Amino acid sequence: MPQFNSVDEFVLYCHRVQSDTKIKYEKPTLVICAGTGGQASGANDVIRVIKNYILSHSLQERIDIRITGCQGFCEMDPFIVVEPGNHLYPKLKMTDIPRVIEAALQGYVDEELIYKEPHRHKCYHSQNDIPFFKKQNRIILGVNHNLDPIRIINYIEIGGYSALSTILSKPDPDWIINEITKSGLRGRGGAGFLTGKKWELARKNSLKRKQSFIVCNADEGDPGAYMDRSLLEGNPHGIIEGMLIAGIAIGATKGLIYVRSEYPLAIKHTLIALRQASDFGLLGKNILNTGIDFDIEIVRGAGAFVCGEETALIKSVEGYRGEPRQRPPYPIEKGINGYPTCINNVETLANVPIIINMGAKEYAKIGVPGNTGTKIFSLVGKIRNTGLVEVPLGTKIHEVVYDIGGGSPTKAKIKAVQTGGPSGGCIPASMFDLPIDYESLTKAGSIMGSGGMIVMDENTCMVDVAKYFMRFLKEESCGKCFTCRKGTQRMYEILDDISKGNAPLSHLDLLEELALVVRDTSMCGLGQSAANPVLSTLKYFRKEYERHIIDKKCDAYVCSNLVGAPCQSACPLGTEAWRYIAHISRGEYEEAYIAIREANPFPSVCARVCDHPCEKRCRSGTSGGDPIAIRALKRFITDRIDPMVYKPKREYLINRSERIAIIGSGPAGLSAAHYLSLKGYNITIFEAEPQYGGMLSCVIPSYRLPREVIMREIASILDENITIKCNAALGRDFSIDDLFDKGYNAVLVAIGAHQSKPLLIENENIEGVFPSIVFLKEFNMNGRYLAKGKVGVIGGGNSAIDAARVAMRQKDVEEVTILYRRTREEMPAFEEEIEAAIQEGIKIQTLITPTRILSEAGHIKALECTKNELGDIDSSGRRRPVPIKGSEFTIDLDTLIVAISEDSGKDVISAVHACGIDTTNWNTVQVDERTMETSRKGVFAAGDVTTGPNTVVDAIAAGKRAALMIDRYLRDIPLNQPVEKKLPEIYIEPVQIQLENNRRIETLRAPAEWRKRNFAEVEVALSVEEATKEALRCMRCDLEFTKNREKINAQEKEVVVYD
Amino acid sequence: MINIYLNGLPVQVEEGSTILEAANFYGFPIPTLCHMEGLSPYGACRLCVVEIGEEPNSRLVSSCTYIVQEGLRVRTASSRVLKARKMILELLLATCPQSKIIQDLASAHHVTQQRFRQEYEDCILCGLCVRMCEEQMMAKAIGFSGRGETRAIGVPFDIKSDICRQCGGCIYVCPACQLRCTYITPEKAICGGCANLAPPCVESHAFDDMMCYMEPCVACEITKLDLINGGK
Repeated sequence: MPQFNSVDEFVLYCHRVQSDTKIKYEKPTLVICAGTGGQASGANDVIRVIKNYILSHSLQERIDIRITGCQGFCEMDPFIVVEPGNHLYPKLKMTDIPRVIEAALQGYVDEELIYKEPHRHKCYHSQNDIPFFKKQNRIILGVNHNLDPIRIINYIEIGGYSALSTILSKPDPDWIINEITKSGLRGRGGAGFLTGKKWELARKNSLKRKQSFIVCNADEGDPGAYMDRSLLEGNPHGIIEGMLIAGIAIGATKGLIYVRSEYPLAIKHTLIALRQASDFGLLGKNILNTGIDFDIEIVRGAGAFVCGEETALIKSVEGYRGEPRQRPPYPIEKGINGYPTCINNVETLANVPIIINMGAKEYAKIGVPGNTGTKIFSLVGKIRNTGLVEVPLGTKIHEVVYDIGGGSPTKAKIKAVQTGGPSGGCIPASMFDLPIDYESLTKAGSIMGSGGMIVMDENTCMVDVAKYFMRFLKEESCGKCFTCRKGTQRMYEILDDISKGNAPLSHLDLLEELALVVRDTSMCGLGQSAANPVLSTLKYFRKEYERHIIDKKCDAYVCSNLVGAPCQSACPLGTEAWRYIAHISRGEYEEAYIAIREANPFPSVCARVCDHPCEKRCRSGTSGGDPIAIRALKRFITDRIDPMVYKPKREYLINRSERIAIIGSGPAGLSAAHYLSLKGYNITIFEAEPQYGGMLSCVIPSYRLPREVIMREIASILDENITIKCNAALGRDFSIDDLFDKGYNAVLVAIGAHQSKPLLIENENIEGVFPSIVFLKEFNMNGRYLAKGKVGVIGGGNSAIDAARVAMRQKDVEEVTILYRRTREEMPAFEEEIEAAIQEGIKIQTLITPTRILSEAGHIKALECTKNELGDIDSSGRRRPVPIKGSEFTIDLDTLIVAISEDSGKDVISAVHACGIDTTNWNTVQVDERTMETSRKGVFAAGDVTTGPNTVVDAIAAGKRAALMIDRYLRDIPLNQPVEKKLPEIYIEPVQIQLENNRRIETLRAPAEWRKRNFAEVEVALSVEEATKEALRCMRCDLEFTKNREKINAQEKEVVVYD
Repeated sequence: MINIYLNGLPVQVEEGSTILEAANFYGFPIPTLCHMEGLSPYGACRLCVVEIGEEPNSRLVSSCTYIVQEGLRVRTASSRVLKARKMILELLLATCPQSKIIQDLASAHHVTQQRFRQEYEDCILCGLCVRMCEEQMMAKAIGFSGRGETRAIGVPFDIKSDICRQCGGCIYVCPACQLRCTYITPEKAICGGCANLAPPCVESHAFDDMMCYMEPCVACEITKLDLINGGK
């Protein structure tokens, strides 16, 4: 161990070490991240394999390895960075390692293993170019890459302890404090108090007393935050140096590192570092003969989050219960054992040597005025690049989330970001251009905190988030303050009730009231900020709370007591998919049909064209396997069972006198008519087209939905109460006022969205150019083939695919191309439809925007387009397509079909508006979501006319709901009634069987070459064997609720309830 | 002497006194629950909070623990303070409705109902018994253990205490104890003495002019329950 008798000797030694190192760096070096995260991902095995390989191939002289602490790119663990060149090889398997070593030795880059951006497939040879690193400013974290934390020599090699040497050669506490103040450094533990000011006050107090302390607060209690851990694991000497400087500045001779016991690796590395620093004479009495004493001790926490709070920490150090006390007096006045104690966060102290080395002025240039320097965040949650990021303060949130974090790893949209841990709040996606600084975050209702940043997407339930944090806080509250202890308990109770659908709406206000009182009356920071998760989620996501309370629905499918069986919950009609699947597995096909039909008056239709939201939520799929083919199983049943098996219950003895007019005979209108008829009303349906059925019969092609199927289904619900008048168009033939004049008591507007939106480019109205709805209706209803030759279809939704596939089947058509302005993944059409279209030879060109239609003799000749590239994220959460200048080109076309979107049409909407009904700028009718009422009494609206183009099942559900509301209206009952939770109730004995494999059945289609020339139904139904096998795959999520139903029912009868 | 402003009134207070002492001296009433003359202030119940400072930087602090400073501005009944007191009383009623002291406080502040799930606990963890035992009786036989929901008062490691002299001081100061002693189970009792006391309210048939603060009074309800269930 070298002995230094003066600061100069030490400085000389450091210089020698640094110049020696320059020679060493000619050999390639393998840098392995082995922090806690790295080790958990297998870094230890990587190290073993590397060492093995090097020894067995005698490569010791030719290659070096450096084992570092956490570097922050945790998603890519275990990874190796090869120096020189900084080639990063991520997510390594043990078999890849020899390849990496060979590439390092021979100086090339292994293209297959090198880091690639997942969705761009772009290789990044140098770590510095990787987007994750590019926008960071890693003045603190970056150091971890360059040293082995348990070798003090490494730290000295890269210039460590030079700040300390500078200070020790001429110790001037006032100068130090001045530098720190000038740099603008603020406490990184969360409160953001100016560190320089704290040190100044501490020094004043320290001079009056005989002893004072420097404490490094490494009790990082926030769940999900691990920045301080990485700093202590990866560069403990940096913290030691910081503490030494702090000690000299305020005149303390004792330093304490209060570290939580849950950080064994950090403790181990810090103990080693302390011993090494001590051996070098940098700690202890008379440091390097300067007369300055300073020693550091480690104190371990015992698992209490509250001990991260200053005054509780002091109590814990003294050996008492970690209970906060009132401030003033502040710790810098009266701390440990009554002596002045300056408590700083790990990251704050890590900044200190950097500021001294860099100079306060340079440091102050980083960040923004008032918020200088960088901050390390632990970016976790629903994000592609989880890990630690270090950015200058003032960076915008969306830069961190999208540019550095890489955005969402799935198709789900990012909804919010939670900062500051349990004491912080949520910031919604609409506010992502907020700069990250202490004031902005506090103003938005959150806090900077210690730097946790949890990303949440649409599958995160905000009520559940608030509940999670509240559970944490109520367990960690020290319990002294009545309001904090009881308040957190009661807030948790209310949130639990909300998540189970057991809370009344008034409890939202109670929750808010209670939260504010807890914040106001608690003595310490834990209680004062306990309200933040609740208040911020209530402020920005109140709708989610209301959905839970009023509609008893959790839209993120997280709150299990509200979701029940996810397939049932996801279906807008509440169809008990689990029930009919269970019956199919037992061969009970009639019971299965009844289960379907009870919820849905159009089972055969949905069996063919529904976009099955149930399958998206099927637990079999969301837990990593394949979702059950629910729609195919529905088709299996509806093909076999006669609708007459189900007799809908008539709810009346004598007919009611009221008459209802329904405008529109699509799924919404017909569904409403059916349910109103069951209640005894007399209904007249007014339909504009010559035939009824709406989109189902007029637009959806028969290869998807055969004519006989839809007609038979409609016939089964028409009865003596329902009259349909065709060729009666709203606006042209009658108005809503006329209906009331004629004596109708209520009107339902269900006219759908049958008007294609125009492209609004030149020459759109010439021959050969058709709006998709016109094109499809002409064929479906009049049998006219409008497409010829080369056909282009603009759009990416279902009507575009329908138009393309119908065009393909028309006689004189040569080829069909779909043109879409975004990418294939972003096309909103059903996946199955797109696949089928591609099978039939339809071409899809993406990232194309049409600019002009070129004509000849009044007929389309070609289409001029530009190519797009994806730019910034727009309000829909998708990247906006941006035209590439100079990329114009033309496509020769004989027919062009415009299928970008539909709406209800300006003319009809004006007719509706003229009768005193509020409409919107995007041609829909305004309705109350829950009561389906329009602004005019007695007029309701349902289906696509209220939402814009939507799915069939949503329209049926809207019609069903409208019927319920109209009935309540006519019977003078308040429309808003409490909603019942829909949980599985009927118990169906499961079939015990062993499955050979758990792969989903493949639904067959007719061969593409054959089917693309006719309109026969494309999809082939399942056989009995296939259906039974698929039904047996069902995980029976309902059993959780139904198996104990009988037991629960019996128990409920026993309990006596006292109020 | 220190100059402070109490509800806008400039007053002089002795150095080292708390806001509560100053307010009591000048006749501004502040409700307390865990405070008792002769015991050190603790600040657990939060009922004595007052608003100090100027908007927008004003905050609520417990007046029993806050030592006065020169120029301090104190408001003892601002709207924030009143809202806080009402909610605290609701929470107290929701936890320990059978305590007469809590009932009295509640009716004095016009809190007649609470909106939470009703619990019947016999300890509000105000710490008066702990401080009584330590500071007045010089025994320090009982103390706090646990954190958050599991926080409780008792003897170390629940082993029968050698130091406890059965003085009954802890029962004497307990606000929750006043009315519940008939229900305490002998095993949980610290000394079992209160099992022999009969609080007056429960024998309401013996009193004609019983004034019940809460209609119906929870203590009566519980008694009725006990009588129905044959006493548990």
